Amino acid sequence: MKLTFALLIIIFLAFSGYHLTFRHFRLPLFARIFYLTGTEFLVLGLLLGPQFLNLVDPETQKGLAPLTALLLGWIGLLFGFQFEIKKLRRFPLEFFFGAVLEGLITLALVFAGVYLTLVICCDIPNAFMIVVAITLAAASGCTAQTGLAFLSPDRIAKRQNTVKFLRFISSVDGLIPLLIFGLCFFYNPSTGLEGSWLGGLWPGILTSLGASFGLLLLFTLFISHRRFQRELILVVIGMTMLTSGLASSLKFSPLLTNFFVGFWLVNLSRDKERIYQILMTVEKPTYLLLLVFLGVCVRFDSMGLVLLALVYCLYRALGKFLAGFLVTRVNPELQKYPGQLGFGLLAQGGLSLAILLDFQQAFPSRISTFVISFAILAVIYNEFLSHYFLERLFKEGA
Amino acid sequence: MGRYKQYIPDLKIYGITLFILVGFAFWIKIIHIESDWQQAGLTTFSLGFILLAAYMTAQILRIAGLPMISGYIFVGILAGPYMTGFLTHDMVARFRLVDDLALSFIALTAGGTLQLQFLRKRGKAIAVNILLITLMVFALVFFSFFFIGNWLNLMPNLTYSQTIVIACLLGVIAVARSPSSAIAIINECRAAGVFTTTVLGVTVAMDVLIIVFFTLAMTVSEIILGTGTAIDFRMITVLTLAVAGSLALGIVLGKGISLYVERVGHDLSLFLLFFAFSVFKASIWFNHFMETHFAVSLHLEPLLICISAGFTVQNFSKCGHIFMEGLGRFELPIFVLFFSLAGASLNLDALYMTWPLAAFLFIIRTIGIFGSTWFAGILNRDPPQHRRIAWMAYITQAGVAIGLAQLAQRRFPELENYLTTLVLAVITINQVVGPITFKIALKKAGEVEQE
Repeated sequence: MKLTFALLIIIFLAFSGYHLTFRHFRLPLFARIFYLTGTEFLVLGLLLGPQFLNLVDPETQKGLAPLTALLLGWIGLLFGFQFEIKKLRRFPLEFFFGAVLEGLITLALVFAGVYLTLVICCDIPNAFMIVVAITLAAASGCTAQTGLAFLSPDRIAKRQNTVKFLRFISSVDGLIPLLIFGLCFFYNPSTGLEGSWLGGLWPGILTSLGASFGLLLLFTLFISHRRFQRELILVVIGMTMLTSGLASSLKFSPLLTNFFVGFWLVNLSRDKERIYQILMTVEKPTYLLLLVFLGVCVRFDSMGLVLLALVYCLYRALGKFLAGFLVTRVNPELQKYPGQLGFGLLAQGGLSLAILLDFQQAFPSRISTFVISFAILAVIYNEFLSHYFLERLFKEGA
Repeated sequence: MGRYKQYIPDLKIYGITLFILVGFAFWIKIIHIESDWQQAGLTTFSLGFILLAAYMTAQILRIAGLPMISGYIFVGILAGPYMTGFLTHDMVARFRLVDDLALSFIALTAGGTLQLQFLRKRGKAIAVNILLITLMVFALVFFSFFFIGNWLNLMPNLTYSQTIVIACLLGVIAVARSPSSAIAIINECRAAGVFTTTVLGVTVAMDVLIIVFFTLAMTVSEIILGTGTAIDFRMITVLTLAVAGSLALGIVLGKGISLYVERVGHDLSLFLLFFAFSVFKASIWFNHFMETHFAVSLHLEPLLICISAGFTVQNFSKCGHIFMEGLGRFELPIFVLFFSLAGASLNLDALYMTWPLAAFLFIIRTIGIFGSTWFAGILNRDPPQHRRIAWMAYITQAGVAIGLAQLAQRRFPELENYLTTLVLAVITINQVVGPITFKIALKKAGEVEQE
């Protein structure tokens, strides 16, 4: 009964909140930042979770795990659909180069910073520490477009090229972080959180590739006929469940596996537009459910979290600033963009959160809860910072 | 054979798809599950597998002219705990959530399918059918079971009066129908016409009335067994209140849905999914609350609420067609999951244990349905073709009948497991045969939309 009740509340919140959040923007600016990013859903999740109301206790969370897997799969599929090569080729190649480089530099810098901080501050087994550092670095590598939504049309008109480049980066820069995040799943704990990496790497990669190929073949067979819309809905839901379920059972990431499937589909399937429409139908509620589920996992039980979140946020901001600067200096074609490009890349969106949730589900432990908690706090810091820096970017460039 | 030649390429694709799906299922079953996350993955995979495998199998059966829901049920049986065990008892129990959602959703569809103008035209015919089916099926099943049971001494542990009670309850349960199956087949065939409307009207109305009949049968049974002394008028009042309350609540909620469609409009399918699920769970919670806090067993029926809500939107607002479109969007995955899980729940052990008696009861019930629909057809002056085929439309039985049997078993523990075992066995036969005969009937009536 508790599971049902929790599920009802969560679905209601996601559904009603989606209408409030994404359909009504006439709010004061501060509230708008809060609402548009859906941050309030993290707080709601926290309230529903074990720390406060305990409506979604650990047992209920276990019951909701299939829904979480489906959710992650849905987001992965959606992200994969952003990589339609035909559409990407409409943009200059240096855009793609810039986005990948930006993601990679941020990831490398944050990884180094987080790893060092964890070595100094936390007592975590070394192998698992690498998993944590990769996850946090991967989550920091991704950028969202929410900040750009606040820009006034005249500012966008004045700096159209910069906005276009920022939009492109925020759509694509999650690619490398997500792929590198996939490496975490080859970490094979033998006893507790101690474990080995290399033992499971090659068999793991081969299994994942084999499974992805099989799933893709299956998807292709299902849509080899032109199906009615309602049949296509069934196929998309069924395949996402199948893919997510298989990935979780194989101790792999549903997010990444579905990303692969989405990527191939968008490039090979003639029904890609129809599938994309289906995926988009529930995109916003999915995002809000993701926030609620993450909020439920959070535990704020030490002040150290606030500090660690600040440090993580700082690493990310520095990574983004430096990456933005380097990207606009390394490639001559990109030198026309402002060196402070990184100011426009601070918003941390759905993919980062999905990476965090994926990590939490795959490696449930006291440590992962701790990590998720400060990472979420850092995401909230970022939402506020991003608005300020975006304003500066456009003021300086005006 | 020539007719099927054009389908050979399709069949090859379906075959390969199923082969790969089954391959994945075998693979996942040999994976060593260590963590909760992997367990959750297995559950998610199983749902996806059932959804896709049932859909593919249904496509193959469709080519053979069989109803798609037979395919869903067949895959459920095959994957279920009594055959391959891919879905364990535990999993099937956990998927009850899907069942609840699906039942309410189907009830909304049922209500939305009933159109007042058709019901007005066929009201008398529906009433005559209900009356005759109830009387004849009940009487035939009651007397046959009673005499055969005594003659062959089938239940040596039961007393004479207990045998009468089982016969009485079996008779009432035999009257129950499966609106969900009827809706699924009608939607699959896109059937429309006088015959279809009559069958749907009878089926949905029977779903309401069966609760009343069953309560009466329970009261009579209590008197026979000596646990009750006279007709419990309080119980009848509460029942009337519950039915009226459910219908009234449905009207209010139906108005709410109309308002949503007119004022908000977007994401209707998601809204309806949420609505259906909430109604089901809120009713259960309300019933439990009334029972524990006020000792009143006022059982609001979620299915009645949803039927009434759907009927209100369809007939008392201008957005009936938008409402039906919204329902239609997620209808297929819901039907597939619901019937596959129903197939997985079919108790093959019960059928194995009691198959001669179950087969006998199936035949008797079918004879009862045939006789009653034949006479009803004569009284209603239906075309001769409709009279001949009407019985085929009323065979399916599912959840309601199982629920009633379980309720009776709980009320009369002295009946041991005879009732549920027998009911489960008969339902297994009805649920396999019923959809096939119903589709044939719709085709013969000429009310199936050409593909």
